[in-house]
Amino acid sequence: MTDPVDAFTKQICEVIVGKNQAVKLAVASLLARGHLLIEDIPGVGKTTLAQALARSLALAFQRIQFTSDLLPADILGNSIFDRGEQRFVFHRGPLFAQMVLIDEVNRATAKTQSALLEAMEEHRISIDGVTYELPEPFFVIATQNPQHAVGTFPLPESQLDRFLMRIELGVPDRASERAMLLGMDRRDMLKELKPVMNPRTLIEIQDNVRKVHASPALLDYLQDLLDASRQRHITGLSPRAGLALMHASQAWALMHGRGMVLPEDIQAVGIAVMAHRLGHDIEQPGQSGRTLADNLLHSVPVP
Amino acid sequence: MSTSMSKSGSMRDRSIPRRPLLWLAAALLFTLPPMFGSLVRWVPYVFLLALAMKFWMEPRGYRLRFATLKLILAAMGLFAIFASYGSLKGVEPGISLLVVLVSLKVLEAHTAREFQVMVLMGWVLCLCGFFLSQDFVIALSLLTAFALLLVALIQFYRGSSPGAFWPPLGTTGKILVQAAPLVVLLFVLFPRINTGLRVDFRANRLANPGFSDRLSPGSIAALANSSEIAFRAEFPGSTVTPPGSLYWRGAVMWNCDGLEWRAPYVPVSISSRGQSSSNNTIRQRITLAPHGARWMFALDRPSEIPPGAILARGDYLWSIQTIRKARRYEVVSSLGPARKELTPGERREALELPPSISPAVRELAQSWTTQNSNPRAIVNSALQFFRTGFRYSLTPGEYRKNDLEQFLFHRRVGFCEHYAASFATLMRLAGVPARVVVGYLGGEYNDLGHFFLVRQADTHAWCEVWLPDSGWTRVDPTTAVAPGRASLDLHSFLERGIASGQMEARRSGFLTQLARSRLFTNARLALETLSYEWDTRVLAFDADVQEVLLDSMGLANRGTFVLIIEILIVAIALLVTYFGWMQLRTRSRADRVKTSYERFCRKAARLGARRDPWEGPSDFSRRAALLLPDQSERIRQISDIYIALRYAAEPASVAVALDGFAKEVRAFGRYR
Repeated sequence: MTDPVDAFTKQICEVIVGKNQAVKLAVASLLARGHLLIEDIPGVGKTTLAQALARSLALAFQRIQFTSDLLPADILGNSIFDRGEQRFVFHRGPLFAQMVLIDEVNRATAKTQSALLEAMEEHRISIDGVTYELPEPFFVIATQNPQHAVGTFPLPESQLDRFLMRIELGVPDRASERAMLLGMDRRDMLKELKPVMNPRTLIEIQDNVRKVHASPALLDYLQDLLDASRQRHITGLSPRAGLALMHASQAWALMHGRGMVLPEDIQAVGIAVMAHRLGHDIEQPGQSGRTLADNLLHSVPVP
Repeated sequence: MSTSMSKSGSMRDRSIPRRPLLWLAAALLFTLPPMFGSLVRWVPYVFLLALAMKFWMEPRGYRLRFATLKLILAAMGLFAIFASYGSLKGVEPGISLLVVLVSLKVLEAHTAREFQVMVLMGWVLCLCGFFLSQDFVIALSLLTAFALLLVALIQFYRGSSPGAFWPPLGTTGKILVQAAPLVVLLFVLFPRINTGLRVDFRANRLANPGFSDRLSPGSIAALANSSEIAFRAEFPGSTVTPPGSLYWRGAVMWNCDGLEWRAPYVPVSISSRGQSSSNNTIRQRITLAPHGARWMFALDRPSEIPPGAILARGDYLWSIQTIRKARRYEVVSSLGPARKELTPGERREALELPPSISPAVRELAQSWTTQNSNPRAIVNSALQFFRTGFRYSLTPGEYRKNDLEQFLFHRRVGFCEHYAASFATLMRLAGVPARVVVGYLGGEYNDLGHFFLVRQADTHAWCEVWLPDSGWTRVDPTTAVAPGRASLDLHSFLERGIASGQMEARRSGFLTQLARSRLFTNARLALETLSYEWDTRVLAFDADVQEVLLDSMGLANRGTFVLIIEILIVAIALLVTYFGWMQLRTRSRADRVKTSYERFCRKAARLGARRDPWEGPSDFSRRAALLLPDQSERIRQISDIYIALRYAAEPASVAVALDGFAKEVRAFGRYR
């Protein structure tokens, strides 16, 4: 059951050198049926990671570059009058794919962002009174520049909540960077990637993730975390965040070949799941979400 | 997860594992004893046959598949029961039908569901067994059956894992012990129907065929092998047994018809005041087994009457009500001389003769009267007549009631009823007022319980003649024929008879040896004592006794309805307590895991590896193993068990793992 996952993770790690933890989190997010937000400065390999994921899975891949003048119709698709047939024909937008990479999601206006996020949540698109189902599996990887970059529209917290995880890639360490400098061109490497998992296997594994056992003791711990976040911050973790935490840790446990979730699994995915949801606490403006999440994990005792 | 689901799903339809089936069969065998002797004889054998067939069929894979065949077998059973009883109504036909149907079910049963049905039916059979008999031994046997059924059910649900032989037995014992207080509580508090535990469903049948108001040839001999208990007698206030033979007076028969005598259907009551009171009295406490009639027994002859009884003409006890449940009473008997007066009416009645007396018999009686006119001398010559040439036998052959001549002059073989009846008839012919008394003779003394056990086999008949100087005088013609009989109970007498070669050997030598061995006798006496306690303490606990007990406990009689409500409240309170306790127990199991782990963490901290409160077990295990390399193996082991117990879906046999875990933690850090 975990063999294809192992092979998959390994292959991606070969492309994204020295970022094993981030890659594993990305894979966990995929297995937990959640969307992934990658936040980092340009040029650390965000797009490469997304492309590596898509190619290794043999999924239909689309890439959309968000800009401030991008309109919802540009990503969803629009109806165009067909002269030959004398009627409007719907032309599907780039969102109709199994894996969509949204580059610089915080550059688009709130209108376009919300159109995207709705599709992410519902897995369907409604235009002109017609509902179109998105293909399965459907996985969005969005990248964004750090908030302080010029000309960005920060995602509202309610919409950040829809991303299962937010990860950072960061600059590679010296040895990894050296290996990258010496190694093949990443673009060539991506072209040579072979799919190691077909979509059906992926769906199967996604189903198995939900069956990983969460014992009462573990749920106690999870709820202790949620309660603590709600006591300490005005906008604590939402119930959806709780679900996200559970699904992500289930995926993490499955990736490590376990049939049950341990507190360590929650802790491993905890920062990725919680940081972007806690980062808006107006009472503690100086603190980044990452620090808040880390504080939580290092203060709530494992029962 | 999904594989285990499908496994348990398919188990429902698979055949019954062998071991639970063996337990079930053993349990069903223990439900048999009450059936023997109370149901038609073929019914229990059909049951046994079905069980044997099942064990023959099961390993060969044979099954009773065809619905028509099953229907035909059921119809045959139904018809056979109808033919045997002449009706399907009543307790015994009903139970017979149930047993036959259970037999068929045993043959048919194959799936897991049917196994459960069989267990339930086994419990119903236990209940039915109590309808048939409530003897102590039967109760023991049914309790065994009940427990074995429980074992079978538990074994069945445990699955056939190897080596799991004793745990189900232990669990059963635990369940029974847990149930015991509730049983006692219900026994004491549950409202009784007024008949006590010994519900007599068989009132219509003459439970006591020998002891009727009629004494006919062979009626007592038929009882000679019956070990059924008639009554038990204690002598309160004296440890010495009364001297001489114990003649337990039952009924007096006035009405003579040759070899057949009859007691009045409803006797005339007389006052007990005329009784000559002497100092030679003896008090007895008698526990009478129910017999569906009104006889009550006392040593010859009762002088103080227990409540609920009258003294009938002829100085015997007669219960005002039919005795349908075990009855205990105290009675005082006077061993001194009897009343002396004889009213003309009584004299006429005591001399009345049947019309058909053969001339030879008349001649015999006249031969005595011509020799001497003194009644005492007549009695002696009559006894002398019986002393020569007569034989005492359990199997005297058939006599009709007019076969007096046949008995006296030709065959000359008889049992006590023949001698008593013929002697009394001859006395009347000779002009001596005579009557027949029926009762019991002797009894077996139980050293452990200090009581006499009198069985149906001890039934005896003797005569009383009226002599002018001493009134009604007991004459036992049987002693003239078999002199040892009066001083022993029948069984001892028969055994002695075997030894001296007088009697036909009725048992094989080995069995006699066994029966006389000390161990066997002691065991039998102990069992009889227990049985006596069972009868007097458990079965006799009826509505009256219960009321007295409840009164003494301060629960005055407030009516059955209030009592039921109270019992319900108590039961609900008990259930709530029980579930609350179970809740605590299940929680404490999780707690035990945690406590043990915390103990482990404390020990590890003492050794230098402190766990942070937010540190998960697997992280800590890794870190602690690095910090304490010499303990790393054990740390890893403990952590693995802890993780399995606390976070895994279905920890395999939790109790075992938990104990092992606690043991590991205890051992941790001890050896460095």
